[in-house]
Amino acid sequence: MRPADLLRVLSCVVLTVTASAQSTIPNGPGVKGTVAIRNATIVPVTSAPIARGTIVFSNGVITAIGANVDVPAGAKIIDGTGLSVYPGMIDSGSSVGLLETDSVPGSVDVSELGEINPNAQAAVAINPHSELVPVTRVSGVTHVVSTPEGGIISGQSALIQLAGWTPQEMVVKAPAAMNIRFPRLRSAPLVEVPSDEDAEKERRKTYTRDLDRLRDLFRDARAYAKASAARASDSKVRRFDRDLVLEALVPVVEGRVPVVMHANLARDIKAALEFADEFQLKVILAGAQDVGRVIPEIKKRNIPVILGPILALPQREDDPYDLLFSNAKTLYDNGIQFAIQSSDSHNTRNLPYHAASCAAFGLPKEEALKAVTIYPAQIFGVADRLGSLEVGKQASLIVTDGDPLEIRTNVQHVFIAGEEMPMDSRHTLLYRKFENRP
Amino acid sequence: MTHRRLLAVLLLLVAPALLAESPGVYAITGATLHPVSGPAIPNGTLILRDGLIESLGANAAIPADAAIVDAKGAHIYPGLIDAQTSLGFTTAKRGDAEPTPDALAIRSVKISDDDADARRATGVTTIVTAPSAGIFNGQSAILNLGSKAAIKTPAALQIAFNTRPTWTYPDSLMGVMSFLRQNFLDAQQHVAAREVYERTPAGLQRPQDNPSLEALRPVLKRELPVVFIADSENMIRRAQTIAREFNLRYIISGARQAYAMPTEFKDVPVLVSVKWPTAPADKEDRADQPLRVIRDRQLAPTTPAVLAKNGVTFALVSGSGKAGDFLPGIRKAIESGLSADDALRATTLSPARIFGVDRQLGSLERGKIANVVISDKPLFEKDAKVTRVFIDGREVRLPRDEKKSDATAAASAIDGTWALSVSAPQGSVAMQVTLKAEDGRLTGTFSGDRGSGDIRGGTIDGATFEFTIAAGGTDAEAADWVFRGKVDGDAMSGTVSSTGGSFDFSGSKSK
Amino acid sequence: MRNALRTLLLLAVALPLFAQERVTLIRNATILTVTNGVIENGSVLIRGSKIAAVGKDITAPANARVIDGTGKFVLPGIIDTHSHTAVDGSVNEISLPNTGMVRIADALTNDDISAYRQLAGGTTAALILHGSANAIGGQSQIVKWKWGRPIAEWIVKDAPRTIKFALGENPKSANFRPPEGTPRQYPQTRMGVEEVIRGSFVDARDYLASWDEYEAKRKRGEAAIPPRRDLLMETMADILRGNIDVHAHCYRSDEIMMLLRVADDMGFKIRELQHVLEGYKVAREIGKHGAGAGTFIDWWGYKAEAYDAVPYNVALMVRDGVLTSVNSDSDELARHLNHDAAKAMKYGGVSEEDALKLLTINGAKQLRLDHRIGSIEVGKDADLAIWNGHPLSSYARVDTTFVEGEVYFDRQQDLAQRETLRREKEERLKKEDDDAKAAKKTDKEKSNATR
Repeated sequence: MRPADLLRVLSCVVLTVTASAQSTIPNGPGVKGTVAIRNATIVPVTSAPIARGTIVFSNGVITAIGANVDVPAGAKIIDGTGLSVYPGMIDSGSSVGLLETDSVPGSVDVSELGEINPNAQAAVAINPHSELVPVTRVSGVTHVVSTPEGGIISGQSALIQLAGWTPQEMVVKAPAAMNIRFPRLRSAPLVEVPSDEDAEKERRKTYTRDLDRLRDLFRDARAYAKASAARASDSKVRRFDRDLVLEALVPVVEGRVPVVMHANLARDIKAALEFADEFQLKVILAGAQDVGRVIPEIKKRNIPVILGPILALPQREDDPYDLLFSNAKTLYDNGIQFAIQSSDSHNTRNLPYHAASCAAFGLPKEEALKAVTIYPAQIFGVADRLGSLEVGKQASLIVTDGDPLEIRTNVQHVFIAGEEMPMDSRHTLLYRKFENRP
Repeated sequence: MTHRRLLAVLLLLVAPALLAESPGVYAITGATLHPVSGPAIPNGTLILRDGLIESLGANAAIPADAAIVDAKGAHIYPGLIDAQTSLGFTTAKRGDAEPTPDALAIRSVKISDDDADARRATGVTTIVTAPSAGIFNGQSAILNLGSKAAIKTPAALQIAFNTRPTWTYPDSLMGVMSFLRQNFLDAQQHVAAREVYERTPAGLQRPQDNPSLEALRPVLKRELPVVFIADSENMIRRAQTIAREFNLRYIISGARQAYAMPTEFKDVPVLVSVKWPTAPADKEDRADQPLRVIRDRQLAPTTPAVLAKNGVTFALVSGSGKAGDFLPGIRKAIESGLSADDALRATTLSPARIFGVDRQLGSLERGKIANVVISDKPLFEKDAKVTRVFIDGREVRLPRDEKKSDATAAASAIDGTWALSVSAPQGSVAMQVTLKAEDGRLTGTFSGDRGSGDIRGGTIDGATFEFTIAAGGTDAEAADWVFRGKVDGDAMSGTVSSTGGSFDFSGSKSK
Repeated sequence: MRNALRTLLLLAVALPLFAQERVTLIRNATILTVTNGVIENGSVLIRGSKIAAVGKDITAPANARVIDGTGKFVLPGIIDTHSHTAVDGSVNEISLPNTGMVRIADALTNDDISAYRQLAGGTTAALILHGSANAIGGQSQIVKWKWGRPIAEWIVKDAPRTIKFALGENPKSANFRPPEGTPRQYPQTRMGVEEVIRGSFVDARDYLASWDEYEAKRKRGEAAIPPRRDLLMETMADILRGNIDVHAHCYRSDEIMMLLRVADDMGFKIRELQHVLEGYKVAREIGKHGAGAGTFIDWWGYKAEAYDAVPYNVALMVRDGVLTSVNSDSDELARHLNHDAAKAMKYGGVSEEDALKLLTINGAKQLRLDHRIGSIEVGKDADLAIWNGHPLSSYARVDTTFVEGEVYFDRQQDLAQRETLRREKEERLKKEDDDAKAAKKTDKEKSNATR
């Protein structure tokens, strides 16, 4: 070992010794005191960065930001010299909270049985004490849209903060959206001509049947909504038995809850959007690998798009190698609003690198940052509270030693709704344990 | 049994077939002869006698005892040889026993009249056939269609890179390669062990009998060629790898991507399957396909022309294609640059040479087997029609259009609902069946005393039909009932076969 | 169209002939040599397939192609010691607990687009491994991504032979079941996995003894029947002889210890532990055995045996002197392995120098090809990529990738040919449509004529 390496190892040890004073048990649970971070580069995202600025928050809310800000007496002061403050990152699609270990069925609550589950709610199944929660938040991702998967209507996602003792304390907004995996003729683009003609016929039959089913369901939901409204306003309207499936779709057909349409192939995206037109749904397109082929369709309807995972493979052999890296720039060039999701669970912490990969292929870096902060907040209707550093907004923010989209950057402090998070996770604890193996 | 008595028995078995319709003597006149082995002879005469070609030429003398076939204006060819088929073998299903290297195709081949008819209608008189199942498909046979006696058996050992079902070795392509290697290594050891033992049996353990490995002995000695089924460039190279490792004499069959590697076939004959890749029906599917796949399907039909240009010995074969795809497939090769003459050679003399039967087959020459095809126009032209076919000097009846329209008429006669009465051992059973015929297939439903459901395995040929139902009843009674019968106007009758025996049924059409 | 394609094919064939003569100079770039530090404003001279010069002041020979590397970085080609790309059919021969007779080399295919995509991520060489369904899997193959060339050219001819072992949940079929009617396959426990491996080597010893007996008899002039040449036993024997390197898939520390012990008992070495997610728990023992470690940095929690996986694994193994590389086991991750190297710095503070080694020279050493690849040194294969930023940045991307002096990926070329390829596809599809229409028309005319 060369001296430089030795020094590095030693410095690590020193750092971790100070860090080991903490654990995943919070120092001051529920404490949302007054904190001032001084001398830091403040990156509010919605306005220009402030070099050597100060940000003050109290009782969970940002009270001041600027180059010359008075620090209230009694505030906890963090010296931010050489550090930067960013809003906490928001993952627009993740399954944090809904599973622990993929191969252990008992720990997985992501996909309900069957095709039609509009009444499956992520918010009721979030495990606040999942190891994934601290692993994710110490990396700077403070919020995720926890999203059910599977079937055609997968259920209702919940926008949660990665802090809290109960699911209710974690939920910022639920339902965040209804999730529809729009029926597909094929799960992947065709390569070879199918040799089994019967299977091919069966496939087309299933596809048509699924579309019909979805359409019938939405017609029923519309009727149910009408009937419910009538009954609500007029008790003389005959009582009818409740149907929780249709009831879950009422706010959707009434345009109060958006639908995240998960579709990747151009033909499926088009079909999904036409379906949404038919029922006048408020739509967010997600996945959207072929988004470059349907720009006019999206512009015409003025709908936002959730791209991702970005670190994934294009579907077609002939797709440009950088298709998924470049889609964000394509949307940006066309003035279409977008956010980025990891679509991950255990590695939701890699959200910033999904965004960085878009910047590597032409998206301005500031836009990449917005795609994991303010844009998702806007798309999911929580921009009044989250997504940027502004006075009056929630103090969910991270303190880093650099650009959070750079892998080598380290996150040093995480505040969620004003509460300082312990910087430990299952990983740091195991690390420390075995680093010091006798 | 003495040899003489065995011979007598064999003669008894074979003789009726031969004597029922003597091949006789034919003089086919007035047509353009395409001998393949030499230039075309306009307005020539071809004499067939006792199953062989007696003579041919512009001025061949017509024997006094010959029946004269006037073929004025027609074209005459040696019967086409389709050198890669699995005719006479059923498609393998999961769990079926696989052939082994010592399996002789001739022992189990069973070609239906319909299949033979369909092939003959395309000018094919001779086939090479082996099962398509398994890795070692067994040893192929060369047959004239309609004759049970092989022209050559074994013709070749056939190998396909088929994996076995998951959890049965080998269930991967890698495994298939290793499986082949190990078999050839074992065969080498088998041969060596026998040699040692035969020289010095005393004090040595007697090597075990192993017919499967024994069957590989002539292959290792290059006496019997191996046909490898391989379509893609990479698969062809894998066949090459195995063949080179064990110094095998081999033939590549399938060879779709041989266009990309035409110089790789020095001394290696190629059987090019004319079952060309097709485009998907759906326009969006087509647009989604990789350019690589689209290029490949457009270049594949150029393979024969490319091989011809590179001096490779090749034949055109139907492979896994249907009878009706053979001539259109050859035409496509011609449209893609192959000359008609080369196409003809590749379906006659070349396959005969590749399999070492060119002294008997493959051209119109004196003394060769009288397999002859007559068509109204040059055979590979789009509208050409095979009008007459002679196999072993005997004219075979071709499926005629009338028969087809007969079939259609009878088929529509069966469409409808029938009240059936079955004289089962336990007493009379009544049921209703609703039947519909389409392209020789019969579908429909049944209901009545023995439950209800769909009919299965329904076929119809002319007035003759067959279908199966799963008849219900007590556990002892429940069984498949196979109905075989004939339609006659508004009535039908026939027999039902089941595990409980065979009994009659009759029925009338419900109005 | 056909002529155009033929020209393309001809060009492809002709390229290597010119390649012998081709000289390329990359200059004014930051050269990350990996083994000899960083050269700012440096140059790399490539002659034929080899690196001819590396340094600050290299003048371009008369016929050289010169690439201006201002603001760019040159990194040796990334070596992925865990790939399953470019295999036809299954990467698992799943049927038996030990399938050491099968070879990945037999099933390689050159039409897997993933190879090209990986070039676009700066990866140039890979160990293509058999899957992990059985305790002893098949023989693996070291390749270079020579996209567009016949598969025989991808194979690194003088590379060591390798084999895949697998421990833990996969070989004990914990996460998949055979189809209905097929009995469950031995082993079902980690105890059984150990027994399969140990037993195979015991069998191999017996096998070798039977051959020795046969050879001895023959030498004495006695008649003897040759034993069977068994491909599986030959493989096991070659491992014992040190002719085949073992790359072992493993997760938990107990199973790692088990394998090291079996190897010590049987007298062979484990070349590289693959995944080795709990390597950090026994890094010292791994180092002592001399095994390398190849891992992805941050995958965890997807199965029970990955629950203790931590991204600090690499840092702790590097600290304890284990020869460590980052590898992919994924067509996707293989496109940005540079991210994993950067994560090694983030999680546990591996130095930049060591992080770059994780991508290059360490993998080369694990494949025993460090005399040819893994660093930018004179005489080594010219396998390298030009990056538009520092490769450890998540904002960096690859501009050009060379394999043995040939350009196999170039971003500008890639962008330029997209339109050409799109048009070719369109024309080919149109031709098919036209042909189909024409055929239909002829048929119609004919049926009209006969009416």
